[in-house]
Amino acid sequence: MIGSLLRLAWRNLWWNPRRTLIAMSAIGFGYAMLLFVACLMAGLRQQMIETGTDLVLSEIQVHAPHYDPDHPISLTLGGRNGTDVNAAMAAIAADPRVQAASPRVYGYGLVSGTHQSAGAQLVGVVPDREQTITLLQTRMVKGGYLSAATPKGVVIGDQLATTIGVQVGSEIVVLTPAADGSTGNDLYTVTGLFHTGLDEMDGGLVFMPLATLQELLRLPPERIHEIGIKLHDISDAAATAAALQIQLGKFFPVRARPWQVLAPELADYVQFNRRVTFILFFIFFALAAMGIVNTMLMAIIERTREFGMLMAVGMRPFQVVGLIVAEAAGLAAASLILGAAVGVPILWYLQVHGLDLGHDGGTVSVAGVVVGPYWYGQQDFASYAEAALGLAITALVAALYPAMRAARFRPAEAMRKV
Amino acid sequence: MRWQKGIGAICLILAWSSFGHIARADDQPARGRLSGIAPQFIGQSCIATVVMEINKEDWQRKIKMQFWALGGTKFLIRILEPQEDAGTAILKVDNTTWYYLPKAKRTVEMLPSMMLSSWMGSHFTLSDLVSESTLTDDYATATSFEGDRNGVAVSEYTLTPKSDAAVVWGKIILEIRQADQMPVWQRFYDEDGKLVRELSFSDYKTVSGKLIPTHLVMKPLDQAPEQTSITFENIVFDSPIAEDIFALKNLKQ
Repeated sequence: MIGSLLRLAWRNLWWNPRRTLIAMSAIGFGYAMLLFVACLMAGLRQQMIETGTDLVLSEIQVHAPHYDPDHPISLTLGGRNGTDVNAAMAAIAADPRVQAASPRVYGYGLVSGTHQSAGAQLVGVVPDREQTITLLQTRMVKGGYLSAATPKGVVIGDQLATTIGVQVGSEIVVLTPAADGSTGNDLYTVTGLFHTGLDEMDGGLVFMPLATLQELLRLPPERIHEIGIKLHDISDAAATAAALQIQLGKFFPVRARPWQVLAPELADYVQFNRRVTFILFFIFFALAAMGIVNTMLMAIIERTREFGMLMAVGMRPFQVVGLIVAEAAGLAAASLILGAAVGVPILWYLQVHGLDLGHDGGTVSVAGVVVGPYWYGQQDFASYAEAALGLAITALVAALYPAMRAARFRPAEAMRKV
Repeated sequence: MRWQKGIGAICLILAWSSFGHIARADDQPARGRLSGIAPQFIGQSCIATVVMEINKEDWQRKIKMQFWALGGTKFLIRILEPQEDAGTAILKVDNTTWYYLPKAKRTVEMLPSMMLSSWMGSHFTLSDLVSESTLTDDYATATSFEGDRNGVAVSEYTLTPKSDAAVVWGKIILEIRQADQMPVWQRFYDEDGKLVRELSFSDYKTVSGKLIPTHLVMKPLDQAPEQTSITFENIVFDSPIAEDIFALKNLKQ
């Protein structure tokens, strides 16, 4: 019964192939567009989360409870006595979701080159470890990244280098209030310049080996401000942070926060991006619904006599509804297949080649994160399925109105219609 | 006015200069009364040995330094103790400040923002130590008390910011002794009227013919029990200072 209904519906669709094909290509092209947009939006989210967290932030940060970057340097993990850094790192690494972790020390100081001075944040990292959680080493434009072999070597942003008039190989003086109240100052050699495209990083960060900054700030080795963590899967960030907070809390008072809390503007943007994608879906569903209503309405008006005849020979109204809904479903299914056929090469292209945002290193900065020079797509199968499912449901719902109309035909009148 | 430059020259202590400024304030009686104070602090030059004792929650430090000032526009500080900071020198000429760092053997120009942050971890800013106070233009003065306190005849003045002044304090109240016009304390209030810090004066001594307070204590009242005190040893006014002591090239010594 259902099988014959579907067969009948499919045959009816091709009763007027031109109309069906036009409707199919409209809906199918729309679906391909949705795939395109969903893929690009997912790619943007992915790229933003990755650059936002992997450049310097990291995915989870562990601090002393009241620490924030403006706080005095005395707020180290484990308080004034510090902590056994290796034990804390081991405790973090014990969580199977953690891929890598790296300790950090922060300060703020005056950085002076040949003539000019500028204020900058000082970041002390363990070069080998830091490279396992962040990607700054991939953004070096001159010279190289920090190395354990050059304890007095620092890397700074290219903008800061221009501001204070230094190059790779130049000496800089760093002046900073130290933990004991004295004024820490020393000479360092610039071994590399990085460029991230973000002014606050390129113009305001100085990276140096952890032990070097601890010495400048007169902090003993067991005193660090932060542990940055990278996970195997970034979507575990919130849950892992909560677990680490409990786990590390056994050693010292601690606050572990995922990137969504550390960079709320980034998390907001990801939310916003998802919503925009969803709104686009709905606009498309509405358009598709109108197309289907129109197609099916035209179809039943043209086929009034046919429906009258079918009902006269015993087709029940609910079967008429079923027939028309089945036709709509067939139309939607064929459209989706067509759309997917058009869309898959586009998705492949976006993932492999990306959209070129400009040849000379053109970048776009969104919510404080740089995207580019290529905007790559990211396969978001959940969204593709949602779009397909939404479209199918839309088609069925949209077919109901024409179907109800057809179901109310009176056979005698309907058969007399021209 | 000419004496104002002089006040700048010795304003190792912001408070001193503020008294001078009252002399040209709005409240006529207060102004008349105080006009006699300012000249007391006039000095073309000042050389002093200063001990700053900083008591913080985490640590204590004692910094001994040599201080030179000339004409209100040139200042030089050389740190003598403790060992790890000895040799550090700070030179301010007009509006530019340099730091000489003996360890790096380099001279570094300071940023304006760093002039306004805590100096050497103390409760004073570098600007407090080597700048002329701008209370002059920013605050209106009124006499808020006159009479005996603890058996001493004193006058109390309240300074409120003028409407267009960009200042940090919501109100400053200060007390001076009527007999010799010496400052007793100066209290700083935030914009909500909360007392934030208090600077108190003591150990009044006559130096180079001038009576001055030689011990000052700054206490922040909105945080942990901390304080910074400044004690003057060997202060000399109006003795000749060679101009080239303030030359940048002489900063390292």
